[in-house]
Amino acid sequence: MKPILQENLYIKVNKNNLNQKLRYNDGGNVHMDFHGATNTTIKFIIDKYGIDTMNDIFKKVGNNVYKNIKDHIKKGNIKMLAKHWQHFFERENADYNISINDEEIILTVNRCTAYEHVRKLVGNVSPNFCDQTIKTNEALAEDTPYEIKTEILGEAACRQTIRKRA
Amino acid sequence: MIPSDHFTRFYNEVFKFLEDQGEEHLEAYWLEISKNQEKHTLELFKEKGLKGMYEYWDHIRIEENCDMDLKLDDEKLELRMNVCPSLSKVLDNDAEPMKRYCDHCAGWIGPLIDKVDHHLVYDVIDRNKPQCVVKIFKDKEKAIEEEKNAKLLMGWPKKKK
Repeated sequence: MKPILQENLYIKVNKNNLNQKLRYNDGGNVHMDFHGATNTTIKFIIDKYGIDTMNDIFKKVGNNVYKNIKDHIKKGNIKMLAKHWQHFFERENADYNISINDEEIILTVNRCTAYEHVRKLVGNVSPNFCDQTIKTNEALAEDTPYEIKTEILGEAACRQTIRKRA
Repeated sequence: MIPSDHFTRFYNEVFKFLEDQGEEHLEAYWLEISKNQEKHTLELFKEKGLKGMYEYWDHIRIEENCDMDLKLDDEKLELRMNVCPSLSKVLDNDAEPMKRYCDHCAGWIGPLIDKVDHHLVYDVIDRNKPQCVVKIFKDKEKAIEEEKNAKLLMGWPKKKK
C-alpha cells in the first residue's frame, strides 16, 4: 500500500542530519558553465547517434560513475543518495528540500540552477536536458530493491522520489 | 542533475563511446565543444589577444580550482598546470578512465587559437599525470621552435600547418 503523505511523518534533511561519507565529496568553487557543455553534448549525441545512445551513456554514468551510491542502495542505505543530493544541490545554490521517512526520500527541486544557468548561457535548453536526471536515476535504481521516480514539475523544477519497489 | 563537479566524469563516458566509433567521431565532438566555447572566448581573444587569453584562463584557474601558474609576456602566454582537476577527477573515478582523456583539451583549444591567428603548443607530458604545459605564441616560428621541447605534443582537428 502506498504511504499516505503526511508532512509530520517526514524529517527535513539538512547538512547536519545526514551522517554519510560521500565517495565524491567535492569542495571549492563551482564551475556552472559545465552545465552548458552538458547541454551541448546532449544535443550533439542525440542529433548524431539518437536518443537511445544518449540514454545508454547516462545509464553508464548511473551504473559506473555512481557505483558507490548504487552499492549503498542495493544494501538498503538510501540515505547515501539523499546525502549526494543535499551536498550537490547545496553547492549549486538550488532552491530545494529533501524529506525523509522510513519508507522513502523525496527531493523537491523548486529552482534548478543547472537548468537556469543553461537557459541564461545559450537561451535554448535541450528538451532532453533533464534526461540526465531521469536516466541516471533509473540506472541507479536498476537491479536494486528500490525505484527512483523523477517527475518534471515544470521548467527547472522536479521531484525525485526513492522508495522500495511495490 | 549531474553536478557540474562531476561533468568531467560524464565527459569521460562520452569520450569512451565516441572513441569506439572512430577518431573522426571524437574530433567532431571536440569541434562542437570548441564552437560552444567560442561563445565565451572568441571576441575576447580577438580583441585582446594574449591578454584576453590570460583573463579567460585566470578565471578558469579560480572557478575550476586548478593548481596552475599563468605567465604572460609580450610574445606568449604560458599556462603551467601543476594539478589538473579535470584529469584528477577522471582518475579518481569508479568508472574506467579513457586512456586519451587529455587529448580533448587541445582538441577544443587548438581550433579556437587557430581562428584568432595565434599558435598553440600543447605539451601533455604524460597522459596519466594531471599536469601539462600550454604555450600560446603570437609568432608562428617561435611556436614551431618550442614544439621541439615538448615531451608529448598534442595535435588537434584541422591544425594549421
